Amino acid sequence: MLNLPRCNNLISQLKCLTQELLAGDWLVLIVSTLCVIYLFQTLWTNEHATKVQIRLGDQVYATYSLNQQREIYVHGKLGDATISIAQGKARFAKSPCHTQYCVHQGWLTHAGQAAICLPNQISLELLGEKKPYDTLNY
Amino acid sequence: MRKPKIIIALVASLAFGAYLLAREEPLYHTQSYVFGTLVDISIYGENAERASSLSNHILQNFQSLHNRLHAWKPTAEGKPSELGQLNSTFERGRMLKNVSPDLIAMLADAKALSIKSHGLFNPAIGHLIGTWGFQRDEFTAVDINDRIIKKLVKSDPSMSDIVLENNTAYSKNSAVKLDLGGYAKGYALDLAAQYLRKQHVNNALINIGGNIIAIGKHGDKPWRVGIQHPRAPTAIATIDLPDGWAVGTSGDYQRYFMLNGKRYCHIIDPRTGYPTQHTQSVTLLVPPQPANQTQAGVLSDVASKPIFIESPQNRSKAAQELGVENYMVIDDQANIFVSKSMVTKLNWLSPNVKFTTLQ
Amino acid sequence: MKITQIQTTEEDHRIAKLAAIAIVLHMVEAVIPSPLPGVKPGIANIVTLYVLYQYGFATAAWVSILRVFASSLLLGQFLSPTFVLSLSGALLSLCVLWLAMHLPKRWFSPISLSIFAAFAHIAGQLIVVHLWLIPNAGVSYLIPIFAVAALFFGLINGLITQSLIES
Repeated sequence: MLNLPRCNNLISQLKCLTQELLAGDWLVLIVSTLCVIYLFQTLWTNEHATKVQIRLGDQVYATYSLNQQREIYVHGKLGDATISIAQGKARFAKSPCHTQYCVHQGWLTHAGQAAICLPNQISLELLGEKKPYDTLNY
Repeated sequence: MRKPKIIIALVASLAFGAYLLAREEPLYHTQSYVFGTLVDISIYGENAERASSLSNHILQNFQSLHNRLHAWKPTAEGKPSELGQLNSTFERGRMLKNVSPDLIAMLADAKALSIKSHGLFNPAIGHLIGTWGFQRDEFTAVDINDRIIKKLVKSDPSMSDIVLENNTAYSKNSAVKLDLGGYAKGYALDLAAQYLRKQHVNNALINIGGNIIAIGKHGDKPWRVGIQHPRAPTAIATIDLPDGWAVGTSGDYQRYFMLNGKRYCHIIDPRTGYPTQHTQSVTLLVPPQPANQTQAGVLSDVASKPIFIESPQNRSKAAQELGVENYMVIDDQANIFVSKSMVTKLNWLSPNVKFTTLQ
Repeated sequence: MKITQIQTTEEDHRIAKLAAIAIVLHMVEAVIPSPLPGVKPGIANIVTLYVLYQYGFATAAWVSILRVFASSLLLGQFLSPTFVLSLSGALLSLCVLWLAMHLPKRWFSPISLSIFAAFAHIAGQLIVVHLWLIPNAGVSYLIPIFAVAALFFGLINGLITQSLIES
């Protein structure tokens, strides 16, 4: 494929290739390889969440992509709860429940994270490519 | 406008992958609000129809058990629950006849566990729990009445006051009011596990309000359980739960109210009558127990309370006396303590978690 | 009747010839199916880079932009999302090349520039995908794959350019 001068067989061709690279090229190669590894590490984890599943009572109410900005209103046992989705995360923004535990949970960001509003019977769970665990002990 | 091929192919391949994953896994999963909490059942390797009918059966059992054992809510017909009847009999200093054999067995078991824990697990303090307002579905911060609390502690309600003979029960102390909140979920877990095994279900995972028991495996891997961080909406670690093992957590984040910047949780120290404030959470892992003893579910539910309440110096002693080897404590300063045998069972979800190993 | 005659310079002819080569390469690549959607060798970039070294930045920019417009017209994709992706990639790539060409030649060969250009190309496309086309798709999951491809093809294209300049 490569037509380099004075490089005929494969081994000497490889040798020639490395000779072509200057010190700065090596630096660029190493730094970009590290960047690629970093990208894999940060973006290819099990915890990477892509969707939020909203459950109402015994049923799955809906599943939404996390890559959007929107508010969802769900009518629970006690009243309307507001669920916010914003760039990869989700939370209970408003809830008619007395304890407000669900709202205090704050933003969920990783797959497997969940917020449950027992009084209003609404739960949020972030879903990823792979579930980090089967169920949550709390 | 023509959609770019890239995006169509991308979405299609992702959807196809998701479809393959969803199709190949014979996992049935259901969530339901019964028992005043969230019940989550996973059944692996059964067809969806059978798994669904088994789950419904379990959920119905949970609901009826919940109605019978509810400490303060009357049943649908307006009559007090079975436990409510027992409590009013105790209050009047009478004896109740024809108590269900399973309730007698539960009380005998709870009594033995209470004695083992030197009264730190004490289901007889229903009046105290009521004073703190934790017996309401919608509770709020209460005005703390120190006088009433002191009086209730002084009345010394204890499980040893309860006398059980055949199918009768009475209490030597009229201050006893049973609240099986720290026992019933574990009991329900054992009941469900027994039922599923009897139905020849080999693989299932049952979660009642955070207390979990495992049967078999999730395919070729063990069931994996996430342990909730007491202050963040995330898991702190995971545990692989082998067949028959149960896991339970007592946390100050489950039921609490804040007053003047202080947290008042539902786990009350029977010695002082006040909520415990030096612990955030206690998680313990219990192996299957011999047939004629307290079962794994109950033990995982009950044994976390004494460890939660006990002073830091005496925690390991409390665990030992209840036969608990695997446990983790997170104290009010967010320090983590892990028992020696528990260390290898925990998979931390973030790097560099600092913890102290307890010998 | 008045005949309008456009004065063309030698520079214009050169640009036209080089752009023609780039267009052919671009079209060849558009026809060859890719194992993974969005991953392409970007062989037309070899021309851009070669021109940058032989004739300077202005000529390279002309060749690159002409290539994007002409190819999309020929493929019937003008003003389609594919065209916008291609253009945004080419523009960001040119910006990065303009910066990178000031790096000392003693240390950085065309190989470095080729890798930079490849990364800039995919970054430019991803920015458009994110901002305009599918802001809510899980594209971030594919970024590492695109990055690996950019690194690999950037290196190969750089080596080819290097050998072209030397010969």
